[in-house]
Formats: sequence, C-alpha cells, structure tokens
Amino acid sequence: MDDELLNDFIVEANEHMADIENQFLSIEESGEDVDVDLINEVFRGIHSIKGAAGFLGMTTINDLAHSLENILNMMRNLELTPNSAMIDVMLRAADRLQGLINDIQNSNDADVSEFIQALESISNDKAEAAPEPTPAVQEKPLTEDEELDRQIEEAIAAKLAETNAKKEATEKPPQQEAEPPVEPTPAPSPEAKKPTPTAKKSKDKKTAAPEASIRVSIGVLDKLMNLAGELVLSRNQLMQAIVTTDRTGLDVIASRLDQVTSEVQESIMQTRMQQIGSVFGKFPRIVRDLSSKLGKHCNLNIEGKEVEVDKTIIEAIGDPLTHLVRNSIDHGIEMPEGREKAGKPVEGTMNLRAFYQAGKVRIEIEDDGAGIDPKKLKEKAVSKGILTAEKAEQMNDREAVRLIFHPGFSMAAKVTDVSGRGVGMDVVRTNISKLGGTVDVESVVGQGTNIVITLPLTLAIIPSLIVQSREDRFAIPQVNIAELVRLRPAELEKRVGRIKDSEVLRLRGDLLPLIRLEEVLGMASKQGADEEQAETTAQPICKATNIIVVETGQHRFGVVVDALHDSEEIVVKPLGRHIQECPCLSGATILGDGHVALILDVAGIAAHEQVLGNEALDQENEKQTGNDEEETQHMLLFSNHAEEHFAVTMDVISRIDRVRADQIDSVGGQELLQYRNSTMSLLRLENCITAKMPEPGNRLYVIVFEVAGKEVGLIAPLLEDIRDITSTIDTATFRERGILGSMVLGEKTTRYVDLFELADIAHPEWRDADDVVAVEEDEQPPLILLAEDSGFFRKQVTGMMTERGYRVVDCEDGLIAWETLQSGEHDFDLVVTDIEMPNMDGFELADRIKQSSKWNHLPVIALTSLAGAADVERGIEVGIDDYQIKMDRDKLLNSLQNFAGTKSGNNRPVLEKV
Amino acid sequence: MNATLEAKRDTAAAELQLATFYVGDILLGIDIQQVQEINRQLDVTEVPHSPDFVRGVINLRGDVATVVDLRTILGLPSAEVTRESRNLIVHSKGETIGFLVDRISDILALNTNEISPSPTTVEGVDGNLFKGIFKLETELLIILDVDAVLSGETK
Repeated sequence: MDDELLNDFIVEANEHMADIENQFLSIEESGEDVDVDLINEVFRGIHSIKGAAGFLGMTTINDLAHSLENILNMMRNLELTPNSAMIDVMLRAADRLQGLINDIQNSNDADVSEFIQALESISNDKAEAAPEPTPAVQEKPLTEDEELDRQIEEAIAAKLAETNAKKEATEKPPQQEAEPPVEPTPAPSPEAKKPTPTAKKSKDKKTAAPEASIRVSIGVLDKLMNLAGELVLSRNQLMQAIVTTDRTGLDVIASRLDQVTSEVQESIMQTRMQQIGSVFGKFPRIVRDLSSKLGKHCNLNIEGKEVEVDKTIIEAIGDPLTHLVRNSIDHGIEMPEGREKAGKPVEGTMNLRAFYQAGKVRIEIEDDGAGIDPKKLKEKAVSKGILTAEKAEQMNDREAVRLIFHPGFSMAAKVTDVSGRGVGMDVVRTNISKLGGTVDVESVVGQGTNIVITLPLTLAIIPSLIVQSREDRFAIPQVNIAELVRLRPAELEKRVGRIKDSEVLRLRGDLLPLIRLEEVLGMASKQGADEEQAETTAQPICKATNIIVVETGQHRFGVVVDALHDSEEIVVKPLGRHIQECPCLSGATILGDGHVALILDVAGIAAHEQVLGNEALDQENEKQTGNDEEETQHMLLFSNHAEEHFAVTMDVISRIDRVRADQIDSVGGQELLQYRNSTMSLLRLENCITAKMPEPGNRLYVIVFEVAGKEVGLIAPLLEDIRDITSTIDTATFRERGILGSMVLGEKTTRYVDLFELADIAHPEWRDADDVVAVEEDEQPPLILLAEDSGFFRKQVTGMMTERGYRVVDCEDGLIAWETLQSGEHDFDLVVTDIEMPNMDGFELADRIKQSSKWNHLPVIALTSLAGAADVERGIEVGIDDYQIKMDRDKLLNSLQNFAGTKSGNNRPVLEKV
Repeated sequence: MNATLEAKRDTAAAELQLATFYVGDILLGIDIQQVQEINRQLDVTEVPHSPDFVRGVINLRGDVATVVDLRTILGLPSAEVTRESRNLIVHSKGETIGFLVDRISDILALNTNEISPSPTTVEGVDGNLFKGIFKLETELLIILDVDAVLSGETK
C-alpha cells in the first residue's frame, strides 16, 4: 500500500481524534440539553475516518467508526439522549479506534466486536421499546436513564424543532466537504469552524513524516515572509553602501538590520510556540475516569489553555502534569462521605491553571481536598530515616510539606495502583528542573493543596550568566544560580574551609561544597605547571574570589570562577557528536563577539565532581556549627537615614507596626503612639545614639519590644530585610551605649542596636532601683557560671550580669564549664549555658550537672537564640530549669534573680561540703 | 569552483576529485563531495573533557562546529597554528566538522582504478582510516575515509 497515503490518513485521523475525548465529555455534560453543533463536529470527524478507512481497505477501523457514527447520528437527530453510560462506551470505543489508527498495519486483524456490540446495544436499546442492556461492556443499567431520556425528549421535542432545522442545514457539509454553505444563516458556527481544519489538512498532506511537523499560523508565516523581504532589502542597502563607499548611511542600515534580525528571531521562536491546551486537553478524561474508579466526585476547571510555550516543553510537561493531577485526585480529594463530614461540597474541585508571570509560565494544580498534613509527613520522614527527629521538629510546616519531593517518599498512607509508589514526586521535580523549571507545593490541612510549576517560555533561549575561568568564557543558566558571593582576600581564609579533601564555603551558618571551575574542567592541567603555581599563589592576594552558588534538584554548591561577565540571553546550540557526551556541558552558544561559549550543566558538574550530598554536609554542619565563632542570628535590618543601616535581633521584638506619621503624638517632649486604647512610648535612634536624622515620611514602622513590663516602640523609617545573619560582630569600631557592635552586610556597615540599652538611655527612670541584686552586707553577690562559645555573646551576657552586680565566671565551652565546676575552685550559685557549643553542648552540660549528686541542686538556665520547641522539650528532659533568649535582657535578668537571688543562700551550705 | 563541481557530477563514477592538504609531511586527500569549505576560522574554543583529537569548537556562521586535530588522529604531535593552517569543513553523518590541517594543497582529479588499496598500516597509522593510496610523481597521496577518521575509535 502507498505509505504516503497511509501516513496522510494517520495524520488526518489523529487530528480528528485529538479532541474527541473532550468533545464526548462535553456532550456528556450537556446531557439532554443536546449541543447539536458539537455532535455534528464529532460526527463529521468520525465520518471522515470511516470514509478514508473504507477507501484504504481498513475494514476494522471502518466498522468501528461506523458504529460510533451511528450513535452520534442518533444523538444529533435527537433520537438518543447522551448519558454517562453511553459516553463511557463511546470513550472506550474511541480509545480503541485511536489504538487501531496508531497500529494501522495490524488493525485489520484486531478484534473490535466487543466494542461494536456495546455500541450497537445502545442504538438497539433505543430502537426497541423495552430496553435491555446487553452485558458486553456496559457497567450501568441504562433503563432508568433511558426512560428519563424519553420523557425529556418528548418534552423538549417541540422546542427543538427549530434546532432540527439547523441540524439539517449542517448535515450536508460532511458529505460534500469542499462545498461552501449555501444557506445563509441558521447555523453559521459549524461552517465557520469547518474550513479551517480542512485547509490545514490539505497543507499537512504535503509535509513528510507525521511526527516531525508542526503547525504554524499563517499570520506568523506571513510575518516571516515580510521580514525576509526586509532582510533582503537591508542587505541590498548594505552592499550598495559598501560599493559606493558611502559611510554615512551605514548607521541607519545597521540599526535597521538589528531590528529586523530581532524580529525574525522572535517570529521564528513563535513558530515553535504551542498552546498548552494540547496538554491540558487530556485531563478532563483522566479526572473523570480516575475519580469514578476511586468512587470520588471531582470537577475539573481548566484555565489558560491558550497560554503558549515552546514545543519541547509541551512535549515534556505532559507526564509530570499527569502525575500531579492523578495525585491530586488520589490523595487530595476525599471520598464523598469524608467531604460531607468535613462540611465541604460532595463534589471536589480541581483547578488547572496556566498563565504568564514575569516572563515565565506558571501552572497551578489546585484541589480543595484534604491537604497535606505536615505532621504526618514529618513522622513518615523520620520513620523512613530521611530526617532526624530533631530536624523534623525544627522544620516549619511549609518545609515539611515540601518533603513530598524527597526521593523515595510516598505521600499515600497506603499504596494504590494509581499513585503512591514512592517514585513520583521526586521524578516530577527532576523532570521539571530538567526543563529549567521549578515546582513547589502549598497546602492547608483540610482545605486543599496547590502545586505550582514555573516553566520558562522556551528552552531555545535561556537567560544565563557569562563567567570566565582562565581564558575561556562559559554560560551558566540563571535558573541554576541561587546567588553570587564575593569574598575579599581577607575573608577567604575565614569563610573557606576543608572537609575530607573538598573545599567548603561558610555561608550564613551553612556549609556549601565549593568547586573550582578550572579544576572541574581540567583546565589547570592543560596549562604549564609553573604558570599555574604562579597564578594560584598570586591570585588570592590581589583579587576577590567570585563564587556562584548554584542549585540543582539535589545539590547546592559554590563554583569558584575567575571573573563574572554580563548576564545574557543566549541561544542554545547543540554540540557535535564527539563532544555531546562531555560531562559538565549542556551545549554551546555564540556570544556577541562571535566567540563560542560553552554552557555548563550544573547537575552534570555535581555528578562529575561527586559533590558532597546534603546528608554528608548536614552532618558536617552539625559538627561545625559549634566551632563556628559566628552564631546565626535572626535579624531585622532597617535604616534610619538612607546612608545608615541598623540591625536588631528578632528574638526580642514582639511585633512590628506600620503607622502614619500623624498618629504619633508629642507630649512633653516625649513621643507617644496611641495603640489599642493605650499609649506606647516611642524612641528615636537619633535621640539615643549618634545617628543622622531620617527624611520625614508619611509612613513609618515601629519596632515594638518590651522593657520592664512596658511596650516600647523604636521608630524605623524603612525596613530592609529579615535575615539569618552569621557575621562576625565587630565590637570595637562603633563603641557607644545602645550599640552592641557592627557588621558588614552586603558591603554596607550595619550597626547592631541593643534595644534595651536604647530604652535605658531614653528612660533611665524605668530601671528599677532594686534591679541590682540585693545582697546582704556580709554576703558575696551570687556567682554565675556562664558557658557560651560565641565571644560576642559571652561578652554581652557577662557585661549585663556584672552590671547588675552578679559575679561571673565565663567559659567558652560546656566542657570547660564542667571542668571548672568540678575543680571546686568556685562556689557557683547558678549555671547559665548556651545550647550550641562545640565540645559539650548545653544539654549535656545540664544533664551532667543534674545527674551528679554534687551539683544537681544547681539551677541551670539555658540561653538560645530562638527558643525552639524541640529544644525546650529536650531541655526539660535533662532538667534545665529555665529558658531565656540571649538578647532579651529583661527576662534573663528576672530569671537570674528568681533562681540566684532566692536560692543563693540555700546553695551555699551544700557547696561548702565539697 | 562551481564549474568544476558541476563538471564532476556529470563525469563517470570512475573519476574522483580530491581536496588535498598536508598534515605534517603527509599529503592527504578528501573526496571533494564531502568538503563544504576551507576557512581560516582558527579561533577555537577548547572543550573540557573532550576526546584528545577534538581541538575544540568554532562559530561557523551561527552554528557550533567541532574541530578535529588530524595530527592527533594520525599520531603526530598536536598542531601549532601557523599562517598556513586551515580549517577544512567536511560533512559527516549530517554534521559539519572541521579538520585542522597544516597546509592546503591542490584539487586533484583521479581515476578510481589508479588508486591502490590501503595497506594495514600507513606510516604507523591504522590503514582503516584510509580509502586508498595514490602515487603522485613525487609523493604518495593518502585518501582519508572521513567517517572512519571521525568514528573516534582509533587513536
């Protein structure tokens, strides 16, 4: 048989079949309110397939199509009212038909009698007065439906007389396809729709293989033709200008050429763009089939079918999306009873949305189901050994929900055949990140889950950062870049360390594996050894080190490069067959100056270099955090004056308010803010410390904290950020009351404000007279053993305690504290300890103290930067008496007084026994 | 050039036109049908982790083409780029690939029956890389099998 003819048939048949599922579903949805136009459209499609199959001798296809056509014919003649059972049979028949078309060579040997029987039974049932459902394929009895159908049919028969007229008008075209509509009006829509597919069909016939073709709108092609004309014109002008050596016009020609070229590029990209609807189209069927299989009810709303993305993305996104949709029905939407109990509508709703956002395409799959329970996820993660119990406690709900993307994690409580084999979500994430996209999940227990996918519009052009290593330039796709870090030579030693032969970067309290691009790419070896040595020794001294922090699904690491260049939109060119397999590279591009730059494959680099996995790092992180002089602090950054930056620790802030300037009253030289029927004193930085006046503004922020039981606000004109900061605090440069020290953040010097001292400066009268520990004359003030590894905090806390009259022995580690205690040199009244310390942490220290018979009466107060729930619990276990936040001076002092002030007398005799 | 190409197509299969060039002292020829162009585009970007014989990639009018160092394939020390160095762009399996050669020579038309089969080794190089040998008056012309050279299986 003529292969070309057969191919044409397949292409054409597939076009007809493409949307058939959804059309059937719409027919089902409209029920008795028959949409004759729609049925007609489907009818014509099946009819064409039947005709062509008959012509080509595909008898089986012909037969099956004929049976389908029969039903459709009855439906459009209103002899048969579509219902779910019928549509079921029809859908399965259509599936089979599609199968036959795909395997056309063997189609004639296939057995479709089952389907034909089922279809015929529908038509026969209708014809016979007493309908008798044939067992073959039907699942549900038709009797009731059909009875109902008939009644309704009769009732609306009169009303539909008009529609019948329309139908007759539209019945002709399928038989005589090319003929234009003769009758002027009644049903313009089907005719209007008709010519387009036919016109395109004939075009497709000329193209070769069915799978390699793409449809391009005539408009885009016309535009391309025009642009080609423009290009020719520009070339002619350019040639002329060169021949006549007339330089004056060159600028104009060049800019014209530039413009035309960009337009050509844009239009050509457009030819690759396809509507995402072609992917979304299959979901109504999937949702319908799956929810009925699981006994659930689910409505699917689709928005944004018209959103266009690159063909390659369309092709690759289908599977991940299907998985997500299936997951939502399987795990998300509850059984009808469950929904009723929860007071939700019995029918679940699923929204599938696509829209453009910031130059990207965002796809959301949202359901109103049970949501994901972060607690259960954590439990599961812990039981599977993915997380330690401790980590799980610290994890917030949002992070916990993201555990579903962890490899080997199955969300379903039980494994069903639909999903929950534990190979799902991580694969989805990997596949999406291969496309340069991201996936995230938000969920509220009991309310539903929303999965958000962000995809680039195209893969052919990717925004990238151009970097340099030695003499060569490389492109790193922006999607992989998390941030850029620049280390000055002075910082280098402090921030870069080594674990098991690999370099690591300390970044905000985390350790990141570090790799050097020139080493990864093996370029160091290609150059002369002498030169290399000379360079590596010379470099750290004269230049800052540029580190690009990159991310892939599983890894996050830093890449050291020699120089950073511009960010560019690069056009990806494939590599030749000899170098296609090179690890670390994903393609090449041509830079503006005509040079070739290779595109780095970040995931490939991670694999090639066997970058330390997160687990290994986490372990190291845990080991290292203690050693780290720099403790992470949760800080609020703000500026008072545009040039002056300040930070306060979040630990002591009770809240932040935004107020209008006119809300602030000034009474007797004091600024007050009316707040919830009470007044709050306000402080201004410039009144307390050396600081510039802020620019007056209408709106400002007030940082609210508590001093001596009162709420006090600090005016912060402009909030900048809330960040975890791990930076060495310089306590020397800006020494003044109210300022704890300074640090450099993002090249800006930021002063670390002590809110309590500020309050003290502004309102010294607030400090109670009896704040200082009351001591009997013959008694020594209470002696405190302080264990704190961070020098900064040790100094702060010690200062604060001695100021209030306590005596303090400070140790930089739990172990040292324990030894000091055991040495018996001092009689301590109280132990104050940090939790995180390198050699012996606060828990162990407290545990030892409470376990020992000698010291178990000693009160232990633990200091934390953030009182985590897990910490408190563990602390209670080991017998820690109180928890205080490091920077919350008031409360800490209160606590000290409670424990030391009252117990000091009692403690002494016991201690003396030692 | 075009004229010769046209002429070539009309002649009997017995005649073979070769673009000839030197790599070291060896005179090599490639069927002109496989040659797209000869250029001086020698600004090669190195490709890390690529096979030894890959010199790098070049920008060939907007396409990225691999450049192969014929010297490495023929077991000679890697080429130094000189004023006479050229890139000979050939078609192989649907891809354009550049051969870095030391010097371009003539275009020769040969009669296929004058070509003798390649011995197992030619100057220490695997004979499978060659289609045959043709004796010129003063020297030997070795005819390269482009696809075999690019198969990358020999060192």
